[in-house]
Amino acid sequence: MSDELQIELIDVDKHYGAFHALKAVNLSIRKGQFVALVGPSGCGKSTLLRSLAGLETITAGTLKIAGEVMNAVPPRKRDVAMVFQSYALYPHMRVIDNLTYSMRLKRAPRSQSEAAAKEVAATTGLEKLLDRYPRELSGGQRQRVAMGRAIIRHPKAFLFDEPLSNLDAALRVHMRKEIRSLHDRLGATSVYVTHDQIEAMTMADHIVVMRDGVIEQQGAPLELYDRPSTRFVGGFIGSPAMNFVEAVVAEDRRTLVIEDLGSVPLPGGIMLGAGETVTAGLRPEHLEISAGDGPGLHAKVDFVEFTGAASFVITRGAPGLTVFNVGRTTLRPDEAVRLTIAAENVHLFDRETGRRLGA
Amino acid sequence: MTLEWRNRVLVVIALGLAALYLFPLYWMYVTSLKTGSDIFATPPDFLPRDAKWGNYGYVWTSRGMASYMWNSIVIASGTTALTALLGTGCAYVLARYRNGWIDVALFLVLMLQVLPASLMITPIFVGFSQVGLLDTPRLAVILALTAKTMPFFVVLVRATFMSVPAELEEAALVDGNSRIGAFFSIALPLARNGILVSAILIFMQAFGEYVYSKSIIQSPTLQPASVGLNSFMGPNTFEWNNIMAYAAIYVTPILAVFVLLQRRIVAGLTSGALK
Repeated sequence: MSDELQIELIDVDKHYGAFHALKAVNLSIRKGQFVALVGPSGCGKSTLLRSLAGLETITAGTLKIAGEVMNAVPPRKRDVAMVFQSYALYPHMRVIDNLTYSMRLKRAPRSQSEAAAKEVAATTGLEKLLDRYPRELSGGQRQRVAMGRAIIRHPKAFLFDEPLSNLDAALRVHMRKEIRSLHDRLGATSVYVTHDQIEAMTMADHIVVMRDGVIEQQGAPLELYDRPSTRFVGGFIGSPAMNFVEAVVAEDRRTLVIEDLGSVPLPGGIMLGAGETVTAGLRPEHLEISAGDGPGLHAKVDFVEFTGAASFVITRGAPGLTVFNVGRTTLRPDEAVRLTIAAENVHLFDRETGRRLGA
Repeated sequence: MTLEWRNRVLVVIALGLAALYLFPLYWMYVTSLKTGSDIFATPPDFLPRDAKWGNYGYVWTSRGMASYMWNSIVIASGTTALTALLGTGCAYVLARYRNGWIDVALFLVLMLQVLPASLMITPIFVGFSQVGLLDTPRLAVILALTAKTMPFFVVLVRATFMSVPAELEEAALVDGNSRIGAFFSIALPLARNGILVSAILIFMQAFGEYVYSKSIIQSPTLQPASVGLNSFMGPNTFEWNNIMAYAAIYVTPILAVFVLLQRRIVAGLTSGALK
C-alpha cells in the first residue's frame, strides 16, 4: 500500500429528483487499499459505487480517480472495472468472449487478447470453461467469470457491488478469501459494497459505514469495533449485535444504573453529572456470566441458542440482553443469572443524537 | 364431475371451436380443387372427387398473379424493413427511460393502434396527393402501412428490451463501450428473437393489407394480391374454384411461414410478459 491517493471524493452530493442519495460525502482511498462500503439497504453505498463507475453522475462535489477529476467523464474512459451483484455476464457470448470483451473494444490483436484470457483463466480456475456459455455455468463459476472480466483489464480500481450475495454460505466464505488474496496479488485498489458486516470486517483494510447517504464512520475494522462513533455503527458492526439499554449515572458517578436490571461500571474519563441518562452499548461477547451475589445485571434466562462452538443466552425483560458465551452453557430457561462487564467495554452514546460519549 | 372429465370436456370444446374457425380455410383448399359443376353440387362434397390441380396454373397465368404477388412482397418487405428500422430504436428508448414524457409517448403510441385504417385513409390520401407521393403509389402504401404497424411493433419490441437487464449494458459501458456500442453489441443481439418475431408478424399483416393499397394504388400492374383478388370477384362471379385457387396461392406461403415458426412466435410473444 502506498500513500498515493487513487480515489478521492470531496463533498460529493447526489440527488434523484427530491431524494438526496449522497450527502456531502468525503472519502480518500489510497492505492492498494481494500475499502468496504457497508450499510443497510438504501444507505447510498451502491449509489456511491455507481458514481465511481460513472453509471451515475454526481450532482455536486469533486470525484477524482488517480488524481484526475472524473465528474463528467463517461464510464469507458475512467479505467475502472466493476463486478455486479448479478454478475452481468453477456449471455450471448462464450466465457472467453466475455473475458476479452474489453480488449476487443480496444482492438487488441486476437493473439494478445487470447493470451490474456488464458492467463486470467488460470488465475481464476476457468481454463476448462472458456468455450462454455454463461447459462452452462454454476453460480460460483459465473462469479469467477465476472471477476476475470474485471482482472483482465488491469484497471485503476476494482468496484464490487455485493458480488457474493448470490452464492451459498460455504462458497461465500471461500470466495471472500479468494477475492482478498487476488487483491493482494494484483496490488489492486478495491472498493467493495456489501450489507454484510462480516464480509467487511474480514476483507477490508478500511471500512466506511453509511446511513441515509451520510458516512457515519470510517476506519480500520477493529477501530470501528472498539470505538464506534455512533450508536448506529455500534449496532451495525459486530455479530450478534450490541445490546442497547437506557442507563442513569448513579450518585457516586462510578456506576450506571439500569432500571430493572442492576448496574454496570461507568467508564473513566467521561464528564457526566449524576442523574444524567445515556444509552449504554454492551456487546454480547463482553457480558460475562458470573457466579454468586454481587453487583451487575440481574436477569432471568428466556432461552438459549447453541451454535456448537458457542451459546447465545437471551434474557427476559423489555430490553432482552443477548450474551455470547464460549462453549456450552448449562443455563436453562427461567434460571437467574448475574452478568458483569468490564468498565472499558461499556460504550456510551448520547440518548438523542446517538453520538459516542467520552473517549 | 371429476377434474379429468372437466379437462376432457374443455378439450372437446376447444377442438370444436378450432374446427369452426379453421373450416373456411379447409373449404378454400377443397373448393380450389373442384370443377365448376362440383362447386354447386348438393349435398356438397367434403373431398373433391377428382382434384383439378390445373386450376392453380390457370389462375396464375390468366390473372397475371406474378405481378400481384410481387407487389405484395415488395409492399410487405418494405413495410417490415422500415418498421423494424425505425421501431427498434423507438422501442429501446421507451424501454430504457422512465419519466413523464415517456409515459405520454407510450400513451400516444397505444392510441395510434386504436385508429382504424378506413378512418385514416382519407387524410392520408389527401396528404400524400399534396406532396406528390401518389406518383410512387407502392412507396406511399409502404409509408402509410409503416405508420399503422409501428405501434404494434413498438409495444412488442419494447417488452423484449425490457427483459434484457440494464446491468448488462452498464457492464459493457464500464468495460469500455459507448452508449451506442452497448446497444449494438449487447441489447440488440439479446433482443434479436423478439424483433424477428415481431417483424414476421408485421410482414404477415402487411402481406394481406387491403384498404390502403386499394385506395392509393390505381394501376393494376402495381396492385398487390389482396386488391387483385377483390377485382377477381364481381357481382356475377361463379368461378369460385378459381377464386379459391387464387386465395390458396396467396395465403399458403404465409401460412407455411407461420406453421414453421409458430413455436418461436409464441415464445417471442410471451418472453416479455413472463419475467
